[in-house]
Order: sequence, then structure tokens, then C-alpha cells
Amino acid sequence: MTQWNQDNIKTAIDCPMTRRRFMKWLTAAGAAAMLPCGFLRSGQAMAAGTVYEGGYDTFRNACPRNCYDTCGMVTHVKDGVAKFVEGAPESTFTNGGLCVKGHSYIRRLYSPDRIKYPMVQQGRGTGNWKRISWDEALTRISEKFIEINEKDGSMLGLALTKYSGNFGITNYGVEGMFSSLGYTTRMVGTPCWPAGIDAQNYDMGNMWCNDPEDMVNARYIILWGVNPAWCSVHTMKYIYEAKRRGAKILCIDPVLTQTAAKADEYWQVRTSEDGALALGMARHILDKGLVDQDWVNQNAVGFAEFADYLNSEVTLEWAAEKSGVPAERIARVAEEFAGNNPATIWIGYGMQRHVNGGASVRAIDALVAMTGNVGKVGGGARYGHLMTWGFNYHAMVQQPPKGVKGYLGPAAKGEFDFTKDQEGPSYSNRTLNINKTARELLNASDPPVRALWVSCKNPLSQDFDRNQLIKAFNKMEMVVVVDQFFNQTVEQADIVLPVTTLFEEWTVNVGYWHYWISLNEQSVKPLYESKSNLEIAAALSKKMNQLKPGSCTFPTEIDTREWLEKEFNSGVYGLFGLNSWQDLKKGMHKAGKHLTAWADGKFGTPSGKYEFKSDLCAEHGFNALPKYVDSRKPYDKLRVLTPHTQFGLHSQFVNLDWMEDFNPKPYVYIHPDTAKARGIADGDTVVVKNKTGSVTIEASLTDNVPTDAILMYEAWFRNNDYNCQNLVDDTSADMGAYKAGAPGVAIHDQFADVTKA
Amino acid sequence: MYPTQQTRLAALRDFFLSRSGDDLEQACRQLNKLEKSDAAPADAMDWETAEFAFNRLFVGPMAPEAPPYASCYLEEEPRLMGESTLEIRRIYEMAGLSSPLQGRLPDDHLGLELDAALGLTSAAATPDMEAPRALWAYFLNTHLKVWVPLFLEKARNADTSHPALDLVLDALEDWLAGQDPIPTDEKTG
Repeated sequence: MTQWNQDNIKTAIDCPMTRRRFMKWLTAAGAAAMLPCGFLRSGQAMAAGTVYEGGYDTFRNACPRNCYDTCGMVTHVKDGVAKFVEGAPESTFTNGGLCVKGHSYIRRLYSPDRIKYPMVQQGRGTGNWKRISWDEALTRISEKFIEINEKDGSMLGLALTKYSGNFGITNYGVEGMFSSLGYTTRMVGTPCWPAGIDAQNYDMGNMWCNDPEDMVNARYIILWGVNPAWCSVHTMKYIYEAKRRGAKILCIDPVLTQTAAKADEYWQVRTSEDGALALGMARHILDKGLVDQDWVNQNAVGFAEFADYLNSEVTLEWAAEKSGVPAERIARVAEEFAGNNPATIWIGYGMQRHVNGGASVRAIDALVAMTGNVGKVGGGARYGHLMTWGFNYHAMVQQPPKGVKGYLGPAAKGEFDFTKDQEGPSYSNRTLNINKTARELLNASDPPVRALWVSCKNPLSQDFDRNQLIKAFNKMEMVVVVDQFFNQTVEQADIVLPVTTLFEEWTVNVGYWHYWISLNEQSVKPLYESKSNLEIAAALSKKMNQLKPGSCTFPTEIDTREWLEKEFNSGVYGLFGLNSWQDLKKGMHKAGKHLTAWADGKFGTPSGKYEFKSDLCAEHGFNALPKYVDSRKPYDKLRVLTPHTQFGLHSQFVNLDWMEDFNPKPYVYIHPDTAKARGIADGDTVVVKNKTGSVTIEASLTDNVPTDAILMYEAWFRNNDYNCQNLVDDTSADMGAYKAGAPGVAIHDQFADVTKA
Repeated sequence: MYPTQQTRLAALRDFFLSRSGDDLEQACRQLNKLEKSDAAPADAMDWETAEFAFNRLFVGPMAPEAPPYASCYLEEEPRLMGESTLEIRRIYEMAGLSSPLQGRLPDDHLGLELDAALGLTSAAATPDMEAPRALWAYFLNTHLKVWVPLFLEKARNADTSHPALDLVLDALEDWLAGQDPIPTDEKTG
């Protein structure tokens, strides 16, 4: 008989063949069946066939975060464990690459910090949590919902706040779940990009940008308030290639970003004065006779009025004074831009998060249009698009139970709400402005908001005026949070439900920048007791119907893979050249059309032309022409900028250990001159304070930021109570209500002062 | 193994696999009967605060202060489902065992490992079973005795403490210390 010592055991563990021999011997001896284990099963191992050798199983996944790049990934799985991820090789956009965040995904999946079970907190914010079963969690929630319905005669006391934490299409089942409960209260709008969306709709009739891969054809590229070196790393290669082919790259940003550092020229524009700068360039182009008159005559309306406005109210000197960019530079670049066709401008989302953000985007659109760069390969006023989002929204479109009552009045719709307006019932959901969540939750009455469901969102890190938001949460009778990690919102929950990561659910993803589609397969079993949002919806419906038959229309038994299939239609198949969604198992597909925005010159505006003068815009209370609009009057000494960090996406990723290696704690970045005037040295602890609240934080001195501004990256750290929303009020941006359901928010129009702690 | 030792090991296992306050109270009461330690008697304990403390240390939803997974202590970077987790899965396989929660709960969760220990110590005590004996020795010496002390240290140094946890951590340490490290290079056969 074989002798067994430590070395033999080690060999057996490492070598499947030896292990099999060992197991055979053990099984023959009848030992396994006799083991007094209470939990582990005996006699299963051989039959289970879990002996793996050699290669990996690969699965398709897609990063579902709110990001330009929406990368397709290949997940390598062995022994049922996801080992590593790579970028999808067939996507020419990502070219097999991922970003620093994408490569950290395995750390998210297997982080010991994940929320593992449904749990209930005894007293919000106490940290006193009890584990409960799904059945108990759903019973408590359903009983509350039924109580609300009985008290108010409707479900309007139940509110949903959800945004971009997971853009997988089936996650719109959360909205579907709410619809299936009746008419509820919805936080509608977006803090992200609505002012720019409306601006592009007024000018062109839709938000639609060229395929970023065509940027290689541009002969002149202006990166305006956008930082792709951090926020869209895959687009950088097209910018570099354009540069290699001779294009000039200009970056305009109040902050000297990594993108600015890689550009040929950088302008540190005075924050929120982008409109003045664009109009100054437009005036100079007009003066120099560089307008593409043929294009304008053929494709646009209102140019004469725009030219009149420029001639009467805009000068180079005025633009220089407003923007802080010297007049000769504005003039030179205006000539270069008009003289190098095709030329393109990438309009970032940061530059429209202002009280004049929509107006600024319109001014930039006009600059691109007047030079004849709209509708051309390599040209365009690039902002974003939703041309590839034509799914069925099967999970989202659910009917309310028969006979239920709702809100009598018009409801707003978000930019990702692709549902058609329903004929018939006059009731609707009650819509509240997501960008004023704190105020809206506090003020809603008749009935008040009694219960809040949070999904795909971390409002206490991301929503504005945090102090007010805490008060709003305190007013809630029940807060349910669905999440993967214990963040500042979960801290204020009564019940937390564990939700799956991308590796543990079926869905499909498209982007708002590139034109690719990616399948997201369930690559590994859902860990612990996590469920996908769809499964949560089905389980809630089952419980609701048990407790009150007919109270929820959401199907109670669902196969999430089938529900993924239900999102596809012939339009999606046609656009991406698919015979079946299963084709995507072999790799990503790219849309076969829409790649050059407005190439046929048929615009979506009322006139069917590019509208330098938009009556619709005027009807909505703004200027018909893309006129300059003043920036917000400072209410404190320094501007506060809270842009995206390199190591996170909004409140996600920063908590992962791999990110902490590079980005262990937050800082406020201060210009050395600004710091010196306040006696602040690098590394000092400082207090940043304004009318909304304060943040105590370490100072880092850098001349990358302007002297009149300080900068803190938005983030949620797991070991630090840092929260930049203590300083951001909920003042609206100008535009956004038209297409996104509520105006945007002036995130970068905030002010404060900083003192040594 | 003596029956009391088995009961003790089963109670430790049940404690770490507790799903509710009732589960952990029951496991603690069982241990309380068996232990000679100077820990507070079970009747004097507040089981609700014990449950809160248990979740802060081992479950969540906050990041657990002392995650009860071997790989968090054995891998170069703390993570779950690491190579060391799979090694434990293979050890279970060699004993003819597998976790019904495979792929959902990491195989190296302390509760599962204590369950495996219950099986292996039992098999190892059977005459003429040198393979299980060697396997148990390997599991004990190269695995349990390596990470459980690190886990105990982390749990004891955590911000959260509770008399019920003290009782269990003492019992776990005591049990581990009492395991006979069978010489692994002993040639038998």
C-alpha cells in the first residue's frame, strides 16, 4: 500500500492524477461515508467531477459602469473561480485593453468586504446589523409597501432613486419592479449630462456623435472640458493617431489634466466661461471670412441672426477678458480650426455642469457647424449618443396592477427612459428632480414619501447638499438599499440587499460613446446570497402577491437568461449584424450604421436643419440664439471643483484595495499661491467650508489647478468619511428638463474658502 | 477523538456558520457548558449585542473586522477564492467531501474547515486509516495551525469585542492547541 506522508499529500493536492488515486483508495476504504460532518457532503467529490486540468473556461462580460468606454471583457474562469479579465480582443475600440479600473474587477468580485446577505439595521447609522433571510427581508419590505398603500390609497409614498451604478439593460427591471407595484414616486433626471443633451437637441434635434474611432481622420481636435486620459483611455489612441497623421490637439480645461499634458496646446480657461471663448472664436471666424457658407446655406437656419449677434455683442477682446485666454491665441486657433477640415470638438460633461452649461454647449456646437464640420467623418461636435440603445426594455415596461391610483398630472421621463407614452390611464408616477433629491424628499406631500428604494446608486456620496439629504433620509419610514459594498448610503439603510456583480448575472451592454455591443454572461455562480436586480424584483413580487394577491404584476418566476433574450429585437439584430444574441458569445459586434452623425444633412429639429436659432429653445425659456449667458455669481472666495478621479467612477472602485495602493486617501488640491496667502503648506490638514457644509482634509499643493479654485475628486473611500457633497448645493444647470426630465445641476459652480485646521 | 471534543468542535463550527442570533446563542451555550474558561456564563450574556458584534467581525454588511476565510490570511493579497481556497477544496475532495455551497461560499470559510476537521479527526482515529491520518496532519499542520492563529489575533485586536466572542475565540484557540500534531513524515503502512 502506498505510504502517505506530507510530501505525498502535497503531491496529491497539486496533481489531479495522484489526487484521483488517493480518492479512489479512500472511497474504496469506505471512509468518506462514515465522516460525521454536519455540513460538508460526503461521497460527492468524485461524481462532481471537479478535477480541472489545463485551460480556462472563458466568458463574456461588460463593464457596466457609467463610462465612455463600456469595455467588453473576457473573463477567465477555472474551477468555477474567475481568475482574471482581459479586454475583448475583437473590439477595435478597446483593442484587447482595459483601464486600471477594469483590471481591478476580480478584486471587487472576491473582496472580503462585499455585502453577502440580506441584513437589517437596528437604528439607522448605529452599525447594529442582524442577518435575515431573503424571505424575512422581503416580508418586512412587502408589509411596509402594503401598509403604505392602505394608508394613502396609492403607492406614491414609495420612492425609487436609481441611476448609473449598473447600466446593464436588464437592470431597468428595477424600474419595472416599481411600475408593477403601481404608480410610485420616481427621482427623475440626471446629474451627469442633461444640459448638453438639451443643447444638442435644440441645435441638431438629437444628441448624436460620430464613432470615436473616426477621430483618426480629424485634422484638428479640440478636447474641451474632457479628460480622456483618465476617463476614456481607449479613445486616446485615436487622438494619438490623428496627431501622428498631423492633426493638432488643443485641450481646454480649467485644470491642467493628464489629457492637457498630452496635448499640443493647453488653455486654462476661466471656469464656466467656455461659452465666451467659443463665441470669440466664432466672431473671429466670421471676421476672417472663414465660415463654410455653402454648408451653412444648405444645412442650417438662423445663421444670419447668429452672425448679427456676434457682430453686435461679441469681440475677441471681450472673449479674452471673460475666458482668461489671450485674444491672439483665440484668433490663431479660430483660424487653424476653420482652416483644417475635418476638425472636431469633443465636448466634455464637466463643462456643462454650470448654470450656463447648456448655453456654452450651444456656442461650441455653433462653432463646429459654422465651419462646416457637422456631418463629416472626422468632424462633429461630439458629446455622446444613444443610437445603439434600441432594446425592448422588456424588464422595464411593466403594467401597474389593475385599478390602482396614482399621480394626476404630467410625469417627467429620464434620458434612458425609452418607454413609449401609454394611452389610457390618466394616472402616472409622481416625478421628483433627482438633482434636488434632498429637498424633494423633504417637501413631497400628499402623500409624503414614506419609503425609499435605492439601487444602482450611492446618493449619500453622490447627491447634493449632503446635510439636507441626511435629514431627508431621517424622514423616511423605511430605506432599502441594494448594493455590493457598505457605503455611506447603506450606513443609513434599514434593510440592505446584496446584489450581484457583473460576473454573476446575465445582461447586455452598449455604450453612449462607442458603437459596440457586448453580452454579459453569468461567468460564476452568484456569491453568498446575492441576487440580480431582476431576481430581486421577482422575489419581491412573489412575496407581495403572497401577502396581498394582485398587488404586484412582476412575474414571480423568471429565468434571467431568457429575460436577457427578451431585450433583443430585429432592430438591434439588424444594427449589429446579429442572427441571434448568442452570436455575442463569440465576441462584441459593432453597429453597421449611425457612425457619422448627421451625414445626410437631415436634422431632427423642427426645421429639419441645423438651428443656429432655435425657437424651441426660446419656447423653453432660453435664448433662441446660442448667446453668452453669465456664469454663477461666486458666493465664497474660491471655486470648488469636484471632477472624476483616475481611480474610480463616481463612488465606485476607490474602495478596492488595488486602488488604495495608488490612491489611499483624498486631498484638496490647492495652487501654491492660494495656499501661501492662507499660510497653508503641503500636507497640512485644512478645513474647506461654505454655506452648505465643510470638509476636513489634507492639502496637496499643485499648480495644475488655477489660483481661484480648489479641487477635490468625487469619491467614496471605505476607511474615510470624506464626502465632497458636503460642499455642493443643488443649484440647477440651465438646461436638461427637455430630454432628461429635470435640469442638470451646477456641480462645478460651487464656492468655498479653505483655512488651516 | 473523545465525544466531548467532537461536541466542542461541532459547537465551534455551528457558531461560525450561524445565520441568526439564535444560532450563535445555541452554539455559545453549548460551548459554555464544555469550557473551563473564566468567560462569563451564557445566562449573563446579552445575545442581541453578541449578534451585532458577530456580524461586525465576521459577516457584514460593513467590511468584516476579522473575515473568517483562510485566504484572507494566507494569500499575498487578501481576497476570497484564491489559490489557497482551491487547495482546501481539493483537500475536502480527497476526504470524499464537498461543500453544498461550492462557488457561493468560499471553501475555506472557518465553519466549513471546522466541519472538515470534525470529519478528518474522526477518520484519523479509525484504526488502519493512515491516509486520512496523513491528510488530517497535513490540513492541521500546514493550514489550520498557520492561519487560525492569525485570525484569532485579528479578531482579538478588532475594535469590536463581546464576552460571547471571547468565549468562542478562547475555545477555538484551546481546541487548536490541543490537537496532536501527528508527525507528518512518519512512515506508516
